[in-house]
Parts: sequence; C-alpha cells; structure tokens
Amino acid sequence: MKQSRWQQATYRHPYLFALLLLVVAFTANLLLQPNLLEPTTLNSNMRVFLPLILVAIGQAIVMIGGGIDISVGSIVSVVNALLATQIGLSGDPSTAGMMMGAALVVGMGAGALNGLFVAYLRLQPIITTFATSFIYAGLALFILPNPGGGVPSRLTAFYRETIILWLPLAFYVIALILLVWAFIRRTRYGRYLYAVGGKADAAYETGVPVQAVQFSTYVASGLMAALGGIAMTLLTGSGNAQVGDPLTLSSITAAVIGGTPLSGGAGGIAGPIIGAVILGLIRNIISFASVATWWQTFVNAAIIVLALALPGIINLVRRRKG
Amino acid sequence: MPPLLAVRNAAKRYGAVQALTDASLEISAGETLALIGANGSGKSTLSKVINGVVAPDGGQLLLDGRMVRFDSPHAAKDAGISTVFQELSLVPQMTVAENIWLTREPLRRNLLIDRRTERQRTEELLSLFGGTLRADLTPDTPVSALLPDERQIVEILKAISVNPRLLILDEATASLDSRQVQRLFELIGQWKARGTAIIFISHRMTEIEQIADRYSVLRNGQTVGEGAMKDAAAGDLVALMAPETSSSAIERHRLSPDDLAARRVVLQIDDLRTSVLRGVSIQVHEGELLGIGGLKGQGQRDLLLAIFGGAPYSGRILLDGKPVHFTHPRQAMNHGVALVPGDRAGEGLLSIRAILENLLVPSWRAYGFPLRMKRARQDASAIATRLDLKMAGLDAPVSSLSGGNAQKVVIGKWLLRNPRILLLDDPTKGVDIATKAEFYRLLTRLCDEGTTVILYSSDDEELIGLSDRLLVMHDGRIGSELAGASLTTANLVAASLGVARMETP
Repeated sequence: MKQSRWQQATYRHPYLFALLLLVVAFTANLLLQPNLLEPTTLNSNMRVFLPLILVAIGQAIVMIGGGIDISVGSIVSVVNALLATQIGLSGDPSTAGMMMGAALVVGMGAGALNGLFVAYLRLQPIITTFATSFIYAGLALFILPNPGGGVPSRLTAFYRETIILWLPLAFYVIALILLVWAFIRRTRYGRYLYAVGGKADAAYETGVPVQAVQFSTYVASGLMAALGGIAMTLLTGSGNAQVGDPLTLSSITAAVIGGTPLSGGAGGIAGPIIGAVILGLIRNIISFASVATWWQTFVNAAIIVLALALPGIINLVRRRKG
Repeated sequence: MPPLLAVRNAAKRYGAVQALTDASLEISAGETLALIGANGSGKSTLSKVINGVVAPDGGQLLLDGRMVRFDSPHAAKDAGISTVFQELSLVPQMTVAENIWLTREPLRRNLLIDRRTERQRTEELLSLFGGTLRADLTPDTPVSALLPDERQIVEILKAISVNPRLLILDEATASLDSRQVQRLFELIGQWKARGTAIIFISHRMTEIEQIADRYSVLRNGQTVGEGAMKDAAAGDLVALMAPETSSSAIERHRLSPDDLAARRVVLQIDDLRTSVLRGVSIQVHEGELLGIGGLKGQGQRDLLLAIFGGAPYSGRILLDGKPVHFTHPRQAMNHGVALVPGDRAGEGLLSIRAILENLLVPSWRAYGFPLRMKRARQDASAIATRLDLKMAGLDAPVSSLSGGNAQKVVIGKWLLRNPRILLLDDPTKGVDIATKAEFYRLLTRLCDEGTTVILYSSDDEELIGLSDRLLVMHDGRIGSELAGASLTTANLVAASLGVARMETP
C-alpha cells in the first residue's frame, strides 16, 4: 500500500488543499476589490469572518476526535441572546465581562451535555447534536423571543475598530488560538485526540481514556461556539435568536475544506481557519461581482463536494494510470 | 520460588459455547512456552484471559504466587503482561513512533512530549529488525503506509517497548517472512536472557520446535498435556491435540476415490494466487463434497472468495472445461456458483426483513417487472418446505427464526437459483448440534442431486465426517490431501500444523 506523493503531502500538511483554494479565492477577490490588503479593508473583512473561524475550530476538534457537532450554531444563538438581553445597550463594562464569562460557561455546559450523550451514553453524534440543537435554539428563543437588545457601542467599537500594528484584532485572536493549539498538539492529550478519532478500539486497547477524550471534544466545541457567539454579538451589536443558524453547516464546510476528514483522526485547525476565510472571501466575491445570491449557496455546495471527492478522484486517476 | 504466572482451572463460556473448561498453565521467568491446540481448542481465549481482554468465569490467575484479577488489557499491562494482538491495535493515521509510545510518550517537564527522545527510542526499536525492513521506514512513517509484515513488526515493537515480564505472541509470525521470523527468534533469545517469559502461539510446528522450551496442549478448552519440548515428538503432540473420535451425528456415505475419478470434473483450478494464496490447484467433481480444512486464516476464505469473483487473483479457473475469470460475484452467480457466507448476521441476512424477501434477494431479476409476486411466493415456499424451515410464515422477519433456521434461509436463497457449485464458508459456526445434523442431511441430499459442494469449516469433526476428499491448507497452500482411509482427525490436525503426514491406520 504505497501512498501517492499527494497523499503523503496532505498527510503531513492537511491544509494544503485549503491553501491552494485560498490563493485562488484571494486573487479573485483582490481583482474585484483592489484595496483588500489595506488595514481598514482587511479589518472589515476579518471581523466578519472571525465568528465562523472560531466555530469552525471547535467543529474541527470534534471531527478530529471522530464526532460531529450540529448544535454549534444554536449555541452561538444562545450566547447572542444571553448577551443582548443581559448586558443591554447601556450596560457597564463589569456586567459585560461577567456575562461574557457566563456565556463561556453556558457554551461549555451545552457542549458537556452533547459529550455526555455521545461519549458516555454512546448515542450517534449526528442525531444527538441535531436533537440538542433544537433544545439550544429553543432556549435562545425563550431568552430573546424577538430580535432586539444589544451591547454598548464602546464594546462593539473595540471589536470592530481595533487595529494593532496594521493588523486587525482578529489576527491576534487567531494567533493566540494557534499558539494554544500548537501547545495542545505536543501534549499527550493531543495524541489521544487523534488516536481516538483514528481508531477508537485500538486506542482503548492501548489504554487511552476514549470516553473522556470524546467528551472533552464536545466541551471544547461548546467553548469555541460561545467565543464565536461573543464575537458575533460584538460584530452585530444586537440580539437575534437565530443569528447562529447558518454557522453550523458553514463550520462543517470550513473544516472539510480545511482537510479534516469526516471519518476523524486527521486534520488540524489551521486548515479550518483557512477554510472559514475562503468561505468569507467567496461571499465577498459574489457580492462584488453582483451576481445572484443563490450562486453563493451553489458555490459553497460545489466546493464542499469537490473537497470531499478530490482525494477519491485523485486515487481513481492514479489507479487508471497504474 | 513460585512461577511468574500460573493459570489454574480457567473456564470461560461465550453464550452457548464453552470455550474453556479447565485450562491451566505455568510459566517461569526466562522461559518460552508454546501453547498449542487444534481449531476451537481455546488457545486464543486462554491468552485473552491472561492479558485481561476477557474475564474468566472460573479459575485462578496467580502472578508471583499471588491471586490477581485483570479488569482490562491496561491492568494486565500495568502488571507487566504485554500482548501482540492478532487483530492489530495500531491507529492507521498515526506514525510508527506515535503508535508505539501511545499513552507512554516521553515527557519534558511532565507536560510536553519530547519528540526527539521518542524518535530516538523508536529508531532503537526499529533497529532490532534492521536489515529486514525497508530503509525508508522511519519513526515518522504513518502506519497506514506500512505493509502487513511491517505493521506486525511495529505491533511487536509496541508490545516489547513496555519491557514486559510476560510477552504473549499470538500468531505473531503469520505475516512475517522467514528472515523476519529468524530475527524475531534471535530477539526472543535475548529477551529470555533478560528474564522475559514468552507465551508463543503459532500454527507452524517447525517454529514451535525451534523456539519453545516447554509446551502446553489444549483440547476442547481443557489442558491435556504439558512438558519439555525436547522430550516431545511432533507425533505425540498431534495425538494429544486430536480429539477422541466420537460417534457423531453425521451419516454420509462417502464416495470412494474410484467413484470420484469416474465423474466429470466440474471445476478445475490451476495455480491460483492472491495476496494470501500461494499457488493452489484443485479439481472438483460433479456431486462431490470437497472439504477445505486447516487452522483458521490459512487462505481458505480467500480461496472461496476468489472462485466467487470476490477477490482479485491470478491463475486459471475452468468451469466445465471452459476458462472463466469472475471479477464480480454477479458473474459467478450467473454461472451457477453460489457462496454462503459464514457471518450470517453481517453478510448473509437482512435480519429485520421478511423471510420471503431474504429468500428472494438474489433472484428478484427472474420475476420481471412488475414483480410476479405470486410465483415468487410459490417458489419461496417450495424452498421453505424443502429445507423444512420452522417459521411462523414467509412474512415473519428473519430475526424471529432460531439460529439454525436462519442459517437455512441463507442457504435457501441460493438454492432458488439452482446453483451447480455451492461454496460454504464455515456454515455451522455457533450452531447447535440438532441443527447441524439437519444441515448435514441437507448437504448430503444436495450432493446426491448432483450439486458440487466445497465446504470450508473450522469444525474438524464435521469435515472428517462429511468430506469425500479433504484438502488441508497451510500458509496459503494445499498442505495435503486426505481421502479414503487417511481421512482421520489425527491426520487433519497433523496436516494443519504442517507436520509430515502420519501413516494411515
């Protein structure tokens, strides 16, 4: 079973395909929007991409561990509803800080519930998190039945306008997460994550705490969804109990484009970050090229199908030749 | 001084099957013990009792003379017992180094994995097999890119990397080439000198004679003999392993070699090779019941699959004298060849669907469009009657049937197509004796009607009782052919282990 060079390269660098696609999307976007690289334009793009980037990272962690989390969008909605109602347009910074802390706890709690069902009660991840997504969506609507509320403009301004050394805030957030990830990858927990996603039986036989690792991935995903929810709230400055809905499928798309196989045990978070940026750029291109919005859905779908099928197609072509 | 490990009177039951009744063994530090026995004698179960994969129903496990109980493979590993599993325990997406040190990664400041040390230690381990592995096999090679023998070696290295006090090698040499086996034996010598005890399970008698200090023989889950290897002749061991001949439920009039020779050759196979098979040639006659025997995993299943078009092969297959090369089971089916799989829940039946549907699955095409349900139902009920199927009705789900009756459905669905050649893959595994007897009568009748049957079975007694001729496979080849007077259990066991054939009584 000799592997092809492409297989070996993508094994070492799972984000290779995403990087290629990024170059294409970026070039296209640059042609349509020549000032793309100016700090203010970059910032106005990145602050929009950041919520999806955060959610996609959590999604990727679950997928590496062999699961999937359909409830992330609803967790974002819960957090948004919570912050918009509890902080309010005239809230003071200390309440805001407290509520954001609470939002993270809520996100992890929602993730823990998912993890409990999937890891310890051994329920099927897609069905389980699909079901819990309705619980969380219902909770968000309960907290905030009608769009409204918000956060003080001082907070939104900080999120929207902060540029340090020509680079937008989002870059520093991403850098920090990549740093934490690089650290995790070098701990035993990082190895366990990949072992559990790769072949849970073998990991168990070797003595890896399989259930605890699976549980932890859902908690991490809940935490990242809560962070995504905070970013979303600071971006929009207002509350809407359905704001997170589109993020679920986009996060899976981003993770898959970023080289995280649905079968688990491979990939990383650099790829999904790039994947989320690509999805954002495509949205830009479509709005700048002033084509119908259904193109966006169409192109998104075409890319995910391509990303899923590409390894198989490459193998098929090689076998025909060989 | 007590032995390193002693098992006393271990018993284990899986459902209706008593895998171990009274198994005992003792092993001291620095000793190699060969655990031998025929198919289903309980070797694997006993090794699983020792390494904590299976909890015994009865008996004792003594480590250094103290009673122990292992709840998990991990607990056994902590006690210094390490196993090279037959079903591999490697994560394909991870590298060689990551797999070997999983859960035991060397750490720096108790937190971060020290990759350099890990790499170094892996290289040291790999160098144990240096020269027998390809040069570009490094600690960073993903396991998914390894060949079966390389995976097996990584598995061995993973087991030895914990510096175990007791190492269990369960068929660890099966996929290794002869140079790798010799290197492994040299290493076993070194490990023994360090005081490691080794339990060695193998289907190759020559290897057992070469490496073992002592032997322990299992038969029907019971330890029936043990002693020093140098005092034992291969023939004596075989005699110990072979079960006493019991009057079985099988009544089949065996065709004599002369009868067979007079019949038409239906299937001829020349030099068949697959990834497992290494040159198999067979001639099968019309109405013959050809048995395929030997220890598990010697290529029997591959042989059936290759004939059925389910596995790629090289070589020549003649059906009624005409060359055929099936690449898909449908082609084989159209030529009147049928395969009844052994794993009836997984491959043979749609268990929640009706008996009628299950019987008709391979034959729907014969009933046109729209389906002529009336005729289909008639044909299905004719088969049900012929098989004497005990059921509530054709519309009852297969899951409502007893194991034996479910097995009949698996065969019945192929009988609807009137196969000329019926390939059976261990059909009576986990089936009770009464059902077996009924199944044997069915096979006998089919053969009398002119159907050619090739039967692979892990039940030696059944093979001896039913077969006109019996081919014993060993390491992907036909080890020997038993027919007429040489069809005895003792000869089958001897041939299974690759021991020279004994004289016919």
